[in-house]
Amino acid sequence: MTRHKPWIIRIVLFAALGLGLMWVGCAEQAVRDYQGLKYPKLRDIELPEVEQVTLANGMRLFLLEDHELPLVNMSVRIRTGSIHEPAEKIGLASITGMVMRTGGTTSKTGDELDEELESIAASVETGIGLNSGSASMSVLKRDVDTGLAILADVLMNPAFREDKIQLAKMQHRSSIARRNDFVGAIAGREFDKLIYGPESVYARHTEYATIDNISRDDLVAFHKKFFGPNNMMLAVWGDFDTKEMVEKIEQAFEGWPKVDLQLPETPDVQYEFRKTVNVIHKDDVNQSNIYLGHIGGLRSDPDYFALIVMNRILGGAFTSRLFRNVRSREGLAYSVFGIYSANYDYPGEFYVGCQTKSESTVKAIRAMLREVEKMKESEVTDEELALAKDSFLNSFVFNFDTTGEIVNRLVVYEYFGYPVDFLLKIKQNVEKVTKEDVLRVARKHLKPDQVQILAVGRPDDFDEPLSILGQVNEIDITIPTPIQQ
Amino acid sequence: MKHAMRKRGTSVVRVALLFCAVAAVIPRPASAQDLAQFEKRLTKFTLDNGLTFLVLERHDAPVVSFHTYADVGAVDEVRGITGLAHLFEHMAFKGTKTIGTKDYEAETVAMAKMDEIFLELKAERRKGEGADEARLEQLQSELQEAQEEAQKYLVHDEYEEVFSREGSAGFNAYTSQDATQYIVSLPSNKVELWMVMESDRFANPVLREFYKEREVVMEERRLSVESQPVGRLLEEFMAVAYKAHPYGDGIVGHMSDIATLTRAEAEKFFEQYYSPSNLTIAVVGDVDPDQVKALATRYFGRIPSRPKPDPVETVEPPQLGERRVVVDDPAQPFVLIGYHKPDIHHPDDAVFDAITDIVGMGRTSRLYKSLVKEKRIAVAASGFQGMPGTKYPNLFLFYAVPARGRTNEECEEAIDVEIERLKSEVVTPEELAKAKTRARASLIRQLDSNSGLAAQLTFYEVVTGDWRNLFKQLDKIEKVTAEDIQRVANEYFTTKNRSVGIIRTTGAGA
Repeated sequence: MTRHKPWIIRIVLFAALGLGLMWVGCAEQAVRDYQGLKYPKLRDIELPEVEQVTLANGMRLFLLEDHELPLVNMSVRIRTGSIHEPAEKIGLASITGMVMRTGGTTSKTGDELDEELESIAASVETGIGLNSGSASMSVLKRDVDTGLAILADVLMNPAFREDKIQLAKMQHRSSIARRNDFVGAIAGREFDKLIYGPESVYARHTEYATIDNISRDDLVAFHKKFFGPNNMMLAVWGDFDTKEMVEKIEQAFEGWPKVDLQLPETPDVQYEFRKTVNVIHKDDVNQSNIYLGHIGGLRSDPDYFALIVMNRILGGAFTSRLFRNVRSREGLAYSVFGIYSANYDYPGEFYVGCQTKSESTVKAIRAMLREVEKMKESEVTDEELALAKDSFLNSFVFNFDTTGEIVNRLVVYEYFGYPVDFLLKIKQNVEKVTKEDVLRVARKHLKPDQVQILAVGRPDDFDEPLSILGQVNEIDITIPTPIQQ
Repeated sequence: MKHAMRKRGTSVVRVALLFCAVAAVIPRPASAQDLAQFEKRLTKFTLDNGLTFLVLERHDAPVVSFHTYADVGAVDEVRGITGLAHLFEHMAFKGTKTIGTKDYEAETVAMAKMDEIFLELKAERRKGEGADEARLEQLQSELQEAQEEAQKYLVHDEYEEVFSREGSAGFNAYTSQDATQYIVSLPSNKVELWMVMESDRFANPVLREFYKEREVVMEERRLSVESQPVGRLLEEFMAVAYKAHPYGDGIVGHMSDIATLTRAEAEKFFEQYYSPSNLTIAVVGDVDPDQVKALATRYFGRIPSRPKPDPVETVEPPQLGERRVVVDDPAQPFVLIGYHKPDIHHPDDAVFDAITDIVGMGRTSRLYKSLVKEKRIAVAASGFQGMPGTKYPNLFLFYAVPARGRTNEECEEAIDVEIERLKSEVVTPEELAKAKTRARASLIRQLDSNSGLAAQLTFYEVVTGDWRNLFKQLDKIEKVTAEDIQRVANEYFTTKNRSVGIIRTTGAGA
């Protein structure tokens, strides 16, 4: 929308501008401090209505028109995930998700799809993560029929050609070979194993042996079990007409048989609070990667809203206590973070961490632990509470600045069984959080005396031996040798 | 980058892509009607002091993005003060004469005391073996005391808190070889707040907590360079590819330079490079351009004008033969091949864009097809122009991440085959058409975000002299022929003109 102002308004504006100039000219110090500013009321957010449709085959559609640019985007969510793959075949879900697209369909090879899509600057991708499968499509408006046909074909009729299975396995084996090259990746991976247990579906990872165990038949069976219209949600946003689009989608997926919805349950997490101190030797670095923490929670917990505020004060934002004290005041780290994380359907982690030079490792651990303890000792200040809440509430508008995030958020809530207006509930509840609430949830959920500590780096250079913090458990990250080449 | 939060499970491919994204800052371009559309919504004005504003109206959501592009980067540093552009970027979050302090006068005295002690400490340390240990210790503790004195007057992180409280998103800054960029998005009723804060940052900066922030930057160096295999390789590789031009020194700087930089040097750097004429600002979102202009005049107009700094005059001499560097490292292999090529102003720039698309982008690109899909010797392989910047002559960089059990040599050989193909035969009409289609689509996709647009507009305005080149770039790619590509490949992709860098795996991983 361009603004054509009537001439009267223009004159008023020019007058204002003139005055402003004179004012500055007269007295430089007249430039106001930010505290004196009065903000106009933010105009109301016009929330676009997302159209929801359920097709006869059970597929759920979420549609939102946006005609600014000649683009159409789709994203698909399928109820599946690596949590459902057998322990001896870790990597199966990931490889299935990859090869659905790269291995082509019964009518076209993956390479033919690559050529067809890239020649029109389009993309169709698939993948399977921890607790969901996904697919996406992005095309220029004029190519929407081509893009949709490929997306549907890939989801319904993947051919799992052997050459691309081999390629996917090669890529997975290469990631295994490289997994100890990046110190940050080691720390994150091994901390997950400390929290959930090395065998847990939420922390386990591929080995050469588990990749070798995977066959084409496994991929076909995995796909067949989970991929069907009644187990899938499809979001579409961009430059289209909703009624027409619903028909197109219905046609594209016509004849696709439903799947049995008796899917396995999401596995539980059994966590026993304990204090442990763990070290991993990594000799080619001069900086320690540190994590400390314990199990976290769920977003459905009524404490979630107060925890959001607590997180912001402790370490979620760059005005946090951790940032201020560990980074700005002590200069101990470039990156320092801390959050009591909550997931939708299984417990998150509470973790605090940073990277600091080897010579300040124990000092940094102590400094971070101290910040966690302080959260439990006394109420946060009025200023801290106000800052945390204001920054959350004032930036709330950024949840609605693109159509893609509006429609995809609905899909996520629907997928995990949260109310459609969950975001609004978060806002209303964060508004009500008090200092007492923050202290109460910190006391209930944070256990700084029962944290698991992990340091990856060069213990010989540490300022003090880690054993000063407790009995040290050394974690061996040697990669098990492959059985076959 | 100023703020880094936690990043997990970084796969090698992601690292490679990331490094590609960091390096290839050149945005790729739509068409004449898009340009005409934009011209209606864009207002450009320059204040009397030389500061230029680009204001683009987008009224979909009540939000606005601000992007300040300072035409100064690591490339403007001379040896001995490497890392200063980046350190200054960190200091630009520390406040002003009124923000971040309880008593600016008293604080100034305390900071001057610190500077003085630090200079003495530096002089004593310079004596090396002959330094007086007792004196060093004495000075250290004096420095500590002075620091504590100065901290009494601090209002910690006030500058950041103000933005945060008012609902900022994406508040950050980043330093590259060519530029230092300060970004933030706000609800659109807070335009005046940004005006107050950002103008004060460049009118009255106070480099407080300087010596602590140096330590933060040292940790950043350990994190991004010294503890990362690809970071270590890149630093060695760039040093070999350039012997004269400052593109050869890394952005974060050498450790010994960071450790000895003084506040006076940083202030001098600011005086020299942060003149209003060297700043360009884009404001994109739900704003009224007349109001923006009035406020900009009031707040930014108060910054006195200073001369625009000179560009770098050092010219990298032609190579006399291929250069190679090997990094012995416990990490898995990695190979980089770079060829010197001209800057963004050169007529062949669009030809290199087309080559980037054909050899390096997507699953149908020549390198991915050959090294990953067909030969299966690499997990990632690509090539792009603009390493490490575009303002001055730079590198076209090829890279490959060898598959498990495969070697750098195999990958290097396979890349060479593709380079030779570019020289000996013309690319197919389909490849060229695809490159042009993708350039157009890519531009359309970039028009979707306020912050992305603000970044693009400032980049084209500053580096190419006109924001319209964001769109006109497309016309240039449109004119590229298959023969141009062959000519350019033959001219620049020569053995003599290249540098090769590899990670040679040592120890258990070999």
